[in-house]
Amino acid sequence: MSTWIAIAGVSLSTFLLRASFLVFIDPHRFPGWFRQALKFVPPSVLAAIVAPGLVMAGGTLDLSPLNPRLLAGLVAIGVTLRVRNPVAAVVVGMAALWSLQWALARLA
Amino acid sequence: MLPALFGLMPFGFVAGVAAIAAGMSAAQGIALSVFSFSGIAQLISSQLIAAGSPVIVTVAAAFVVSLRLMMYSAALAPHLAHLDWRWRAGLAFLMTDQSFASAAHHYGEAQAQARAQPNMHWHFLGAALTLYVSWQVAVVIGVVAGAEVPPDWSLDFAVVLTFIALLVPVIRTRADLAAAVVAAAIALAASGLPYRLALVTASIGGIAVGLAIEAWRRR
Repeated sequence: MSTWIAIAGVSLSTFLLRASFLVFIDPHRFPGWFRQALKFVPPSVLAAIVAPGLVMAGGTLDLSPLNPRLLAGLVAIGVTLRVRNPVAAVVVGMAALWSLQWALARLA
Repeated sequence: MLPALFGLMPFGFVAGVAAIAAGMSAAQGIALSVFSFSGIAQLISSQLIAAGSPVIVTVAAAFVVSLRLMMYSAALAPHLAHLDWRWRAGLAFLMTDQSFASAAHHYGEAQAQARAQPNMHWHFLGAALTLYVSWQVAVVIGVVAGAEVPPDWSLDFAVVLTFIALLVPVIRTRADLAAAVVAAAIALAASGLPYRLALVTASIGGIAVGLAIEAWRRR
């Protein structure tokens, strides 16, 4: 039951945030600092999700240059800087991860 | 839009797998996706439900990671102000990182060429609906087939990669970069906190640093 309540709460939150200025509030009537703060939400939230995915996959910090996820992530960042195409980042990044995992397994 | 679609399929699949792995029933996993339609919110709430977190903590975490949707809402509001509330509510429900990026790009171009775009909302609706249907198909495949994927395929890494593809283009200024670096550092340093509080703390820290740098530069 509590799972259903959580699903309803999460769904309501995402809708209210999406509809906030489109349906309910006039953007001009909101304080300027708040809209300033919203600008920094995407870089902050996304970076906070990406960083642990690259260097904490096993639950502990792994900054070694032989961490395949860190290396594959850096490759994907490089690809995204050159071509603004999300498919390229996913395809090249996964290919990099799989080949690094394969190569490191041979080395070990 | 088409490339974004292919990039999202593995992400939707992983979101479906995560819901089942969190102990949700198939109906719950699909309901979460159909009504919240947000990969990040779906993944975060799945992780928290899997950890047995209180409902209020799950909803609060999903709320914080979804705050960016509020920024998109503010940015699109002037362009859609001429529509009636049902249109605006429908487009709001369907809005994602990807359809916002596409709509903002089209409205920006139209503005640069000083053309009025009274019918642009049809374009937005078509793109967003296509994305919605494809997303749900990918999630259902993940819910049904998820348990069969061998873990050594590391498919969860595809999610990190889609976030990298979203993160890199939103870093336009030094203040953006500082916000991202600080948020990443806090996320790692605070990883021991329960209930994904590290993510929430890191997001707030990144926003504060971005604001501080901008305030300092404007002096």
